[in-house]
Amino acid sequence: MELVLKNVSAGYGREKVIENIDLTVKEGETLFIGGRNGSGKTTLLRVMSGLMDFEGSVTVGGQDISKMKRKNVAQLIALMPQAGEMYFQYTVFQTVLLGRYARSSGLFGSFSDEDREYAKACMQSCGVYEYKDRLLGELSGGQLQRVLLARTYAQGTPFLFLDEPGSNLDIKYRAELCDYLCKWAEKKTSTPYGDIRNTVVAVFHDLGQARSVCSRTVFLKNKKIVADGPSSSVINPEKLQEVYDFDVAGYIGSQVIDH
Amino acid sequence: MKEQGVPDNRKNNKKAAGIGIALSLAACLFILLLAIRMGSVYISIPDLFKIIGSHITGRPLPAEVDPMADSIFWTIRMPRAITAFLVGGALSVSGAVMQAVLQNPLASSYTLGVSSGASLGAGFVLLCGFSVAGIESFMLPLAGFVFGLLTVALSILLASRIDRSVSNQTIVLIGMILSLFVTGIMNFMMTFYGDRSKQLWLWMTGSFSARNWTHCAILFVVGLIGFVILFMLSGRLDILTFGELQASSMGVEVKKTKITAMLVASLLTGVSVAFAGVIGFIDLAAPHIVRRIFGPSHRIVIPMSFIYGGAFMALCDLAARTVLSPREIPVGAVTALVGAPFFAYVFFAKGRRKV
Repeated sequence: MELVLKNVSAGYGREKVIENIDLTVKEGETLFIGGRNGSGKTTLLRVMSGLMDFEGSVTVGGQDISKMKRKNVAQLIALMPQAGEMYFQYTVFQTVLLGRYARSSGLFGSFSDEDREYAKACMQSCGVYEYKDRLLGELSGGQLQRVLLARTYAQGTPFLFLDEPGSNLDIKYRAELCDYLCKWAEKKTSTPYGDIRNTVVAVFHDLGQARSVCSRTVFLKNKKIVADGPSSSVINPEKLQEVYDFDVAGYIGSQVIDH
Repeated sequence: MKEQGVPDNRKNNKKAAGIGIALSLAACLFILLLAIRMGSVYISIPDLFKIIGSHITGRPLPAEVDPMADSIFWTIRMPRAITAFLVGGALSVSGAVMQAVLQNPLASSYTLGVSSGASLGAGFVLLCGFSVAGIESFMLPLAGFVFGLLTVALSILLASRIDRSVSNQTIVLIGMILSLFVTGIMNFMMTFYGDRSKQLWLWMTGSFSARNWTHCAILFVVGLIGFVILFMLSGRLDILTFGELQASSMGVEVKKTKITAMLVASLLTGVSVAFAGVIGFIDLAAPHIVRRIFGPSHRIVIPMSFIYGGAFMALCDLAARTVLSPREIPVGAVTALVGAPFFAYVFFAKGRRKV
């Protein structure tokens, strides 16, 4: 299964944030999307998951994403959002369980014991199972981030889109996150569309995390893709200078960039 | 599920919720009985049940029961208390749903202009004497209902024209603008018919006096339909409280769910306003109190809001007709006077917690 973007432009109001993007993501890939603040990374992730209007075409397995039912999209693609304000005080467990919505068939949005077990496993892999009965308002920023991550995992999709999943996390959890993603990306997920190899598309600000998880890198600048290729060759001092308008290599030293 | 030293609280939680629900139902029944019994004429509980029994089974009234009591309790107090209960319940469910859909703890159907629209409709009937032959006695509720729903429909239509994704900010702003505009038309009308505006004012502040079983039946049917539809949406409403983008990525058809929920919630408010006038506050307070007790899950919040809102309204109406008897206080004034301090106490007494 492939996710294909053809000549895609999108933005907010009249302002285009990304323009004429062509991009194909194959199942089993691990793709890092990099670029400066405001370069359209989040917008690109949203367009790729069919969450905002765009010009051009986005297809998943040959189907036009904007014509698919949201439930069907959500069985294939899960997008982990940047954490926002939580007005309603669900418990951690309730929140993660809601991630099963697209896969559960329960009447009135009820969940089966299988869904509960699945949610439990997701909470354990994100280290939030210990406070499953706490309310969202009682969590720290990093804890909330991990709860949202667990909810995203709970969707049980083969395509996992992550927007800054490492923000707010301490170094231990960031390492665990990378570890989890690397292992997960080796596996397959069974979906109503058959078994599909797990695929990660992630925005990171930490290039070390990006390198450790993603084998392919796409850089965005001035609304366009300016680089696309294996991370080991694309993430080089010259490219980073061009993308970030700054001597990244000189700043972070050579531990990340081994060329 | 004892591993990692984490106790499984689910069974305990379920048990606690079950006890809470049972206690709430008992309290609610008690309040309803109280609302029916209290007043200038007294009745014993066995006599009350004899009256209800005779009407339900169709058997003649036992000789020991005063026929006068029968007419007071069966034709006046019971329909009044039940109307109050149904209206309170419908308003609260509507408020709970609007707050979830708009992710705004202060939202209600009134935000979308139901009340100002309904008032304008009532204004046309009361001030201009507009009427249709044959249904004169239902002109007022009908006009209130139709105008209330038309205003909401117009709000949603305008919002979706201006903003394709129908975002909450757009809806709330359009609703407010439209409400103010409609209220302006109404005030304009009142300058021409000043002499009849007292009647309109009475309607707008809410009352349950002289409600009969027909009112109850209409409210019950519309209320039940609305309740069932909203209850079926409860899983989607839970997800919607996390924001539209997240809800959409989790598989909810956001726009469709939102518009359905808003229209049905407005239907509930519309039918309530039609039969009782504009009564504020309950739609705001009851869902918040319910969430504090039972948590925010809509499968519990929707039915419990109905029970709590209904009981609270029955109690407020009891106060409205008994405290200054024989004079009657507008029930809208009671809900706000009693409700506001109580709400503030519930909210701020044990430290601030969001929603």
